[in-house]
Amino acid sequence: MIGDIITIINDYWLLLLIGQYPNGPLGGLANTLILSALSIALAFPVSILFALARLSKWPLLRWPVTVLVYVTRGVPLLMLILWSYFLVPLLTGADVPSFVTMLTTLVIYQGAFLSEVVRAGIVALGEGQMDAARALGHSYLSAMRFIILPQALYNMIPSMISTFVATIKDTTLGYVINVPDLTFAASQVNNQLLTQPFEVFLILAVVYYAICWSLTYLANAVERRISRRRSGPASDPASLSLAQAKIVSEQL
Amino acid sequence: MTTSASSPQQQAIRISNVCKSYGNYPVLKGIEAEVIRGEVVVICGPSGSGKSTLIRTVNRLEEINSGAITFDGQNIHAPMRTKELNLLRSRIGFVFQNFNLFPHLSVVENVSISPIRVKGVAPGIARDKALKLLDRVGLADKAGAYPGQLSGGQQQRVAIARALAMEPPVMLFDEPTSALDPEMVGEVLTVMKGLAAEGMTMLCVTHEMGFARDVADRVWFIDAGEILEMAPPEEFFKHPRHPRAQRFLADLRH
Repeated sequence: MIGDIITIINDYWLLLLIGQYPNGPLGGLANTLILSALSIALAFPVSILFALARLSKWPLLRWPVTVLVYVTRGVPLLMLILWSYFLVPLLTGADVPSFVTMLTTLVIYQGAFLSEVVRAGIVALGEGQMDAARALGHSYLSAMRFIILPQALYNMIPSMISTFVATIKDTTLGYVINVPDLTFAASQVNNQLLTQPFEVFLILAVVYYAICWSLTYLANAVERRISRRRSGPASDPASLSLAQAKIVSEQL
Repeated sequence: MTTSASSPQQQAIRISNVCKSYGNYPVLKGIEAEVIRGEVVVICGPSGSGKSTLIRTVNRLEEINSGAITFDGQNIHAPMRTKELNLLRSRIGFVFQNFNLFPHLSVVENVSISPIRVKGVAPGIARDKALKLLDRVGLADKAGAYPGQLSGGQQQRVAIARALAMEPPVMLFDEPTSALDPEMVGEVLTVMKGLAAEGMTMLCVTHEMGFARDVADRVWFIDAGEILEMAPPEEFFKHPRHPRAQRFLADLRH
C-alpha cells in the first residue's frame, strides 16, 4: 500500500501541488494554503471589529452585528456557501469567481465565530483594566489598542488557534462550488485512478493534518515565548529567593 | 460649613449637590464639598456608605444623576466631547484598590505608556521620567519586571508612579491599602505621605486612621450617601459631633 501511495505521489504531485496551473487556474495545495491564509488574515480583523460592535453601547452598531453573528453561527457553513454561490449572482447579476465566493463566506463565517472568542477575552478581563486606562486619559480606542486587546487576544490564543484550524479544514467545502483546492485535486486524481480511493484520501488527510499541526505547533511556540517573557527570566535573584523563602515559611 | 469661604482660585475640586442612584437606591444624596489646592482630604465611613462611588465620580468613572463636579474651572460632568473628557481625566491621578496594573507590560512600560500614547511624549523621554518616578517610589530595580512578579505593596507603588507620570495636579486614592497584606501597608502609606509633604492635592478614601491623623488636613465622614461631618483630624477623632461618626470611631477601636 505504501508503494501505491508513493506511486500516486510520483505521478500526480504537480497536480496535487498547484492544480492545472499554468494551463488552468491555480489549484491544489498552493490554492488551499492561499485560501486558508487569506481567510485567517481577513477573518481575524473582521472578528475584532465584530466583537467591538457587539460590545458597543450604540444599538445601531450592536444589533445588526449581533443578528449576523447569531444567524451565521446557527446555520451550517455548507448552506452559507451554497447560498452565496447561487444567490449573489442571482441578486447582483455579477459573475463572482468561486474562489472569491468561498473566501468571503469563510471570512464572515469564521469572523463570527472568532468574534465570540475575542468578545469573551475582552469581557473576561474585567472592568478594572478599562477603568485604569480611562483614568489615565486613554480614549476608548487607545485603551483597546494598547491595554485591552493585547491581553484579551493573548489569553484567547488557544481558542483562536482552534478556530484557525477549523478555518483551514473548512476550505475543503469549497469543493462543492468547484474551488480548485487540494481536495478538488485529490478527487480529480481519484476519478482518474478509480480503484485507490483509500490511498488518495489518506494522502489528503496526511497533508491537512500536517498543515493544521504546524499551525498549532507554531502558535504554542509563540504563546510559550510570550509567557516566558512575562513571567520573566530570573532577572532578579532577590525576589526569587524571597519567593522561595515565602514558600518555605508557608510550609512550616 | 465654613469651607465655602475659599475663592475659586484656591479650589482644586468643587463638588456641588451631587446625587446619584443605582435604580431606586440613592448612593449619593446631594454631596457638597470642596478640596483646596495642596490639601489632603481623607474620606472615611462604613462600607456601602458611598465613599468609593463618590471618589469615582470625581474623574467620571461613574456618572452622576445631578449636580456638578468642577475641576480646573470645568464641570467634568457637563456634556462634552470625549476628547475633552480624556484630557481632564489625564490631569486627575487615580489609584485603585486593586492596583489595576497592566499585566502585559513591564513596570517601566506601565508607567510610560500613557505619557507616550495619551500625551505624545517621546518614548525615550517618557522612559527616563518613568525611571525617575520608580526611583522615587523605591522600585528602580524593578523597572524590567512584570506586575505578576511583584508583591501587592510594590504593585501599588508602581500604580502610584504610573498615575504621577501624567503629572496630575490632583491625586485620588480609592482604598489604596485595603487589598494589601498588613506588612505592606506601610510602604504604600510612606509614598503617599511623601506626596502630601510635597504639596500634592490628595483625596483619599481609606480606613487607615493613622494616616488620616498624621497627614490629612481634613476628614470627611460619609454615611448613607451623605457627608455628615467635615473636620480637621484632631477634632474629628477627639470630638466627633455626629452620633454615627461617634459609633463608627468606636467600632474602629474594637
